[in-house]
Amino acid sequence: MTDPDPITVMVVDDHPIWREGVARDLQERGLRVVATAADAAAAVRIAAATRPAVVLMDLNLGATSGVAAIAGILEKLPETRVLVLSASGEHTDVLEAVKAGATGYLVKSAGVEELLAAVRRTADGYPVFTPGLAGLVLGEYRRLADEPSGRGDAPAITERETEVLRLVAKGLTARQIGERLRLSHRTVESHVQNTLRKLQLHNRAQLVRYAIEQGLADD
Amino acid sequence: MSTPATVDPQQPLRPLWRGLLVYRVLALVSAAVVVLGSLAAYRSAAGAVAVLMVMAGWTALSGYAYLRAAARGRIAIADLAVTVAVMASTPLVQTPAQVAADAPVMGSIWTPGAVLACALAYGVRGGLLGALAVSATLLAVQARPQTELGDIQLIVLVGLTVGFAATVLRRQAERLRRAIAAEAAARERERLARAVHDGVLQVLGLLRRRGGELGGDAAQLGRLAGEQEFALRALLTSGPAAADEQGRRDLAAALRTLATARTSVATPAHPVELPAPVVDELVAAVGAALTNVSTHVGPDAPAWVLLEDVGTALEISVRDEGPGISDGRLEAAAAAGRIGVARSMRGRVHDVGGTISCDTGPDGTEWIITLPREAHP
Repeated sequence: MTDPDPITVMVVDDHPIWREGVARDLQERGLRVVATAADAAAAVRIAAATRPAVVLMDLNLGATSGVAAIAGILEKLPETRVLVLSASGEHTDVLEAVKAGATGYLVKSAGVEELLAAVRRTADGYPVFTPGLAGLVLGEYRRLADEPSGRGDAPAITERETEVLRLVAKGLTARQIGERLRLSHRTVESHVQNTLRKLQLHNRAQLVRYAIEQGLADD
Repeated sequence: MSTPATVDPQQPLRPLWRGLLVYRVLALVSAAVVVLGSLAAYRSAAGAVAVLMVMAGWTALSGYAYLRAAARGRIAIADLAVTVAVMASTPLVQTPAQVAADAPVMGSIWTPGAVLACALAYGVRGGLLGALAVSATLLAVQARPQTELGDIQLIVLVGLTVGFAATVLRRQAERLRRAIAAEAAARERERLARAVHDGVLQVLGLLRRRGGELGGDAAQLGRLAGEQEFALRALLTSGPAAADEQGRRDLAAALRTLATARTSVATPAHPVELPAPVVDELVAAVGAALTNVSTHVGPDAPAWVLLEDVGTALEISVRDEGPGISDGRLEAAAAAGRIGVARSMRGRVHDVGGTISCDTGPDGTEWIITLPREAHP
C-alpha cells in the first residue's frame, strides 16, 4: 500500500472537523497531506513553503475568499493544481475559482473514493468537471460571446468543444461522449481542458491589462 | 437652524414643530408691536401689557416643551386653553369703541399657533378641534361676526391642512421605521443563517461520506443526510427566487432549486430572466419530467438538467439513463385520461410558447424544451 512517491496535498478549509476528516481520509489512502490551512492568507503562505502538488480548496473561508487564495497560490506555484471542494455550491464563486485557475470542482458530499479519484486526476493534470461546472463554463462562453465589448478578444470555443461541454453538462462520461462523437476519450478530455484553459488565459490577460491600465492611470 | 434633508423616522414632525415655534415668535413680536403702538386707546393699558406678557411667557414655556418633545399632546391642549383665555380677555382690556372699530382681538395672529400645535399633535381631528375652539371664541368676543368669516375660514383651512400633513408624515415615518427594522432583521437573520447553514452543510456532508463508508443502516442515514444537504444548499444558493418589480424571475436560479443528490442541474452563472409565470410553467414542466424519471426509472435513478441560453432560444434538457419510454406509453396514458407526462409537460410548454421533443431509446430518455427568445423578449 505504500506508494514510494505519494501525491502531496494541502487541505484548505475553515471548518476544523471537515479539514481534519478529509486530511485523514486522504492520508489513510496513501496520499501525503503536507499541510492544512484555515484561511486565504495562511493558505498562500503555507502552500509556498510546502509546495503541494494538489490543493483541495474550500471557497467559503470565513471572512476570506478561496478565489483570492487560488490566484495567490498559482502565482507562486504555477505547477500546483487546485481542486475546489466546496459545500457552498455558490455557482458564481465556482466560476470565479475556475477562472482564477482551479482545474476542477467537487461538492463536499462526494464520496471518499470519488474524492480520491478526483485528486489523482487533478494531480495528473486532468480537469475534474461536474455537469454543473460544465453548465457554468458553457454559460460563461455564451455570455462572453454576447457581450458587446469593443476589444473583440473574448475567448471563443469551437463547435466541437461546445458539443463536448454540452454533453458533459448533460451528465455523460468522457467515454460515453467519445462513443457518441466517435472520438477517443483522451480527445474528449483535451477538448474539456481547452475550454478551461482559454477561460483562464482570458481572465489572466484581463487582470494584466487591468493592472497596466491602473498603473498608467496612476502616473 | 439645520434642516434635515430626509424624514427622521423617529421624529418625523420635528421640523414642523420648529416651524411652529418660529411662527409663534414672529407673531408674538407683531402682536406686541400692534398693541404697544396703540396702548393709549386701551381701556386697561396694564391689562393689555399683562396679556402680552402671558403670551410671551407661554410661547417660551410651550416652545421649550414642544422642542423637547415632552407631552406634546397635553401641552397643545393647554396651548389651546391659554389662547382661548387670551382672546377672551379682549372685552376686559379693550374699549367698546375699539371692538366696534374692528380692532384685532387680543393675541391676533398669535392665536393660530395653538391650532397648529393641536394639528401637529393630533392630526386632522386635532386641527379641526383647535380651529373650532379658536373660531368660536373669535365669534364670541367680536362684535361683527361677518367680518371675521375670512379669518375663520383661514383658521379652519390651516387646522385641516397641517393636521392632514402631520398625519401623513407620521404614517410615512412609521412605514419607514418598520421597513428599516425589517431590513435590519432580515440582514441579521441572513448573516446568522449563513453561519449556521454552513456548519450544518459541513456536518451533513460528513455524515453522508462516513455513512457511505460504514454501510448498512449508516449508509441509509448517510443517504438521507445527503438529500437534506442538497435541499439546504439549493435553498441557500438560490433563495426563494422572488420576482422583481417587472414581474421577472431568474429561470436559472429557479431550476437550481430542483437539484438533489440524484439530480444534477447545470445552468449559466448569470441570471436568465423571464416573466415569473413563464418560469413557473417551465420549472413545473421540468419537475414533471423528473417525477417521471423517479416513477419509471427508479427513485434513485440519476437525472441531469441543463439550461442553455443558445442566443435565439433557451434550451432545457432533462436526461436520464433509464430503459427509455416504450412506443405508445405516453399516448396510452393520455388516452386513459391520466394526468400524465404528455399533458402536464406538453401543455405547460405550449402555453408559454415553447416546443418540447423527446428522444428516447434503450440508453435513456432526453426531453428537450425549446423556448424561442422572441416569445418572451
